[in-house]
Amino acid sequence: MDVLVMIVAAIVTVIAVGLFVRTVVGFVRQFRVGKSINRTDKPAVRTLTLLKEVFLATRLKQKPVGPIVAASHLIVLIAFGVLFFTLVTAYGQLVNPDFALPLIGHWPPFSYLIEILSWLMVLAILILIGVRVTRRPNPQEPRKSRFFGSTMWQAYYVEITILAIGIFVIALRAAEYARGSVQGEEFINSNFPLTGWIGQNWTGLSLEALATLIMLLAFGKILVSMAWFVTVAMTPTMGVAWHRFLAFFNVWFQRNANGKPALGQLEPIRYDGVALDFEKLDDFPDDIALGVTAMTDFSWKALLDFSTCTECGRCQSQCPAWNTEKPLSPKLFTIAMRNHAHAISPWMTATEEERANLDPALIELAEKPLVGDDGVIADDILWSCTTCGACVNQCPVDIAHIDHIVDIRRSQVLVQSEFPTELNGLFKNVENKGNPWGMNASGRNDWISEVDFDVKVFGMNGEDTIPEDIDYLFWVGCAGAYEDRAKRTTKNVAELMNIAGVSFMVLGEGETCTGDPARRAGNEFLFQMQAAQNIEVLNEIKATKIVVTCPHCLNALKREYPQLGGNYEVVHHTELLNDLVKAGRLTPVNKIDQTVTYHDPCYLGRHNQVYNPPRELIGATADSFVEMDRNRDKSFCCGAGGARMWMEEKLGTRINQTRGDEAIATGAKRIAVGCPFCSVMLNDAVNTRQQEEGRAVGVEVVDVSTLLLNAAKS
Amino acid sequence: MKIAVCVKQVPDSWAEKKLRDGDSLLDRDSVEAVLNELDEYAIEEALQITEAQGGGEVVIVTMGPERAGEAVRKALSMGADSGIHLVDAGLAGSDAAATSYALAKLLEGRGFDLIMFGSESTDARMSVVPSMVAERLGLPQLTFANKVEVSGGTVTIDRVGDNGIETISAATPAVLGMIERSNEPRYPSFKGIMAAKKKPVETVSAADAGIDMSAVGSAGSWSQVNSFAARPPKAAGVVVQDEGAGGVAIAEFLDAQKVL
Ligand SMILES: Cc1cc2nc3c(=O)[nH]c(=O)nc-3n(C[C@@H](O)[C@H](O)[C@H](O)COP(=O)(O)OP(=O)(O)OC[C@H]3O[C@@H](n4cnc5c(N)ncnc54)[C@H](O)[C@@H]3O)c2cc1C
Ligand code: SF4
Ligand code: SF4
Repeated sequence: MDVLVMIVAAIVTVIAVGLFVRTVVGFVRQFRVGKSINRTDKPAVRTLTLLKEVFLATRLKQKPVGPIVAASHLIVLIAFGVLFFTLVTAYGQLVNPDFALPLIGHWPPFSYLIEILSWLMVLAILILIGVRVTRRPNPQEPRKSRFFGSTMWQAYYVEITILAIGIFVIALRAAEYARGSVQGEEFINSNFPLTGWIGQNWTGLSLEALATLIMLLAFGKILVSMAWFVTVAMTPTMGVAWHRFLAFFNVWFQRNANGKPALGQLEPIRYDGVALDFEKLDDFPDDIALGVTAMTDFSWKALLDFSTCTECGRCQSQCPAWNTEKPLSPKLFTIAMRNHAHAISPWMTATEEERANLDPALIELAEKPLVGDDGVIADDILWSCTTCGACVNQCPVDIAHIDHIVDIRRSQVLVQSEFPTELNGLFKNVENKGNPWGMNASGRNDWISEVDFDVKVFGMNGEDTIPEDIDYLFWVGCAGAYEDRAKRTTKNVAELMNIAGVSFMVLGEGETCTGDPARRAGNEFLFQMQAAQNIEVLNEIKATKIVVTCPHCLNALKREYPQLGGNYEVVHHTELLNDLVKAGRLTPVNKIDQTVTYHDPCYLGRHNQVYNPPRELIGATADSFVEMDRNRDKSFCCGAGGARMWMEEKLGTRINQTRGDEAIATGAKRIAVGCPFCSVMLNDAVNTRQQEEGRAVGVEVVDVSTLLLNAAKS
Repeated sequence: MKIAVCVKQVPDSWAEKKLRDGDSLLDRDSVEAVLNELDEYAIEEALQITEAQGGGEVVIVTMGPERAGEAVRKALSMGADSGIHLVDAGLAGSDAAATSYALAKLLEGRGFDLIMFGSESTDARMSVVPSMVAERLGLPQLTFANKVEVSGGTVTIDRVGDNGIETISAATPAVLGMIERSNEPRYPSFKGIMAAKKKPVETVSAADAGIDMSAVGSAGSWSQVNSFAARPPKAAGVVVQDEGAGGVAIAEFLDAQKVL
């Protein structure tokens, strides 16, 4: 029997390792099909980031999942690696029941490590199984579960394997103890702190019986391990298992070497790995592929992203689209891409000639469009994204959902002309009128006639660069110039700067849309036209310091224009005003005696990490402040980002209402915001409730600057 | 089916427009020029007709200076197949009648089944060129068209007039004038923009088109501009403070304006 066991173990191992290696090679070949993108800058920083994310669980311990899961996961992660030694030992034990690893086998520190880790691993995996079981989709509200749509059997299988391995290790050590004890070995006294007590029950068995027990346990352990290798090798789409290997690479190769989430600026549109400049349109090849039309248009990093997804659903739990019954979930999107990539992997990795000879069914599948009724994902999935960044911020393995979603939108808009019709109007207005509302450029200065102090407009006195004595160029923005609520913010900020003695100048008709909505909607061409025009003006007049009231302008000017040669120091008005208050140049004299809550705009908070200045300003102007449940980097989108402001919200419930209700529920009478779009969206939500009897009475949505102006003036 | 769509390049509709002192012509250089918005509906309709028929040809036709070529490219980027551009310094200053004469000469004998127009240009807004061209070519005219249907040799439209909607039809070849409610003009895709750069645009001189130069241009036009004056600035409006009798005040105001 011994020999039989050894032969079976050897055969199983060879098959398992062979299959595993074959699948790993398959992965590498698939990723190599992806378009090139440079992700190897600052290797030392990247390595440090990897170590931090793995061993300090910096991403994993984020709410809402929290430290217990993060700690359990870290234990399993480490134990799963270290306990590999016990697998090696198990092979030895097939041959010789008294086998121990040379040098360390009976070295107490090593034994302690193994024993502590095995018990901790059993405990941790039981916690994780418990979490999965209790959070599994329930039949009443399945979508509420972050595991909705995750392949549950795969996760349970992985977890049970880990549990089984833990139990095998403990049982094996107990048996080793018993055999050592019967043999009167010395080492048993110092090597079995946590398993000896079990082994003591078995010391009545004969040496032969114990030898058989050890061999059978070792054999069982090997079989369980090899079954796992075979299963994951046969299932390359098993993200929950593969992330064990891929996550390290995915984290190392993430967009920002320092581990900052892939937010703020979008990845530029690339062709053959080179960022495209639409000014050189005439040099483009005629059949240039823009954005992602087919799986093979993704970068290798995108393909690696898809395969790494562990289906944990943290992104899904945060997604405003998903939480308002829309078909988009960043997790399901990622899974759909990954499954399709692997389904057509043989086609992706084949050469043109080889492709022709492939199975017709495979060719048909490979030709399936990524988007559309008969596509890999429905149009509504693609267009529901508000680019709020909650998913990217949450993902423990640093998947950059927004970059991939926008890359597909680029193809839909630029190549296929398949996009929501409302965007037609947006694009035309931005292109022809220089603003999303289609208003006249001459209206950009209308607000100036509504204030009773002087506002300097660039060029009025014949200047051709911004004069030395001007502190800031005040970028008013389209909303700030044309939209009533935002116009009020513009006037507030101008007045506050005026009071504080900050000299500023506006561009007036020289301003045009930054291109943000066009870029988020996938129209990179229009974005670049707008950006080029603005950068030309800003560089020509030598603008250096710019203040904005719109977080979307902030993001474009500060984070996206450097991609096209525009480098400015850009601040949001809440940052500037907060500095002015701190410096004593603005003094809130009369605090308002109402409770205020604050909604973090996605493009100010998550995308640009401005969380404190608005809160400090509110603290300086109001008596009491209350946070919503979801705040700061867990803030819930108002629904307007990603050009969704310009599209109808036809599916599910309304995102702005969900957020508005959350704000109203705090009991605050003032809902402060720092973004013109959030302002419109939340104001709508509050109005809707106010029209219902007795709801949200006296609640007002205001820009933070309004609070400060009231406090500074009265 | 071969369709001609006549388009005009106009100054951006919102820009402030001025006439030049010297020749009383519109100062076009100082403002951004765009494709006449209403013409986009005609282009879209033409494209939809050929798409529905699974084939055909859409030809963009314009009369205008060198720069008007941009409007043709824009139309081509939406998906039209080719362009014809009539350029001649002698054509400058043509009135509606002269324009229609020149366009008729240009279109004549090219075998178009449909000749489509926007209902009016956003600059001069005469809204007569389509009818005049039809008259000159002796073709039936279907103007202010909303819905268009083509089957066999017949084209049927819903004509939106002051008194309601009439359904009228005519045998092709025919002239159509489209209104802005007819469809949603497409946004040119990037692919369309790239493809447009390669599409053929035939540049035609007045002589090539057989145009009698004495019938066109400022001098050849039947109507002449003798003098012009800037529009007087808007007078301040009357503000009625509603102190209970607001309705009456408004009624009196309307009565005084002879509106009631
Ligand atoms: C100051 C001023 C005074 C004027 N006075 C007169 C006047 O006294 N009498 C007079 O007849 N006209 C006058 N005109 C208008 C004249 O110059 C028109 O621009 C010209 O006749 C074309 O007519 P429209 O633009 O009004 O065309 P509309 O009839 O409004 O245009 C309808 C459609 O015709 C087509 N179309 C028009 N022009 C062209 C073109 N060049 N190429 C291809 N398609 C075209 C387009 O499809 C357009 O949508 C005056 C213009 C100005 C600026
Ligand atoms: S960016 Fe926001 S809306 Fe888009 S998928 Fe991520 S969480 Fe959902
Ligand atoms: S994308 Fe990231 S957060 Fe979302 S399920 Fe996958 S691993 Fe989890």
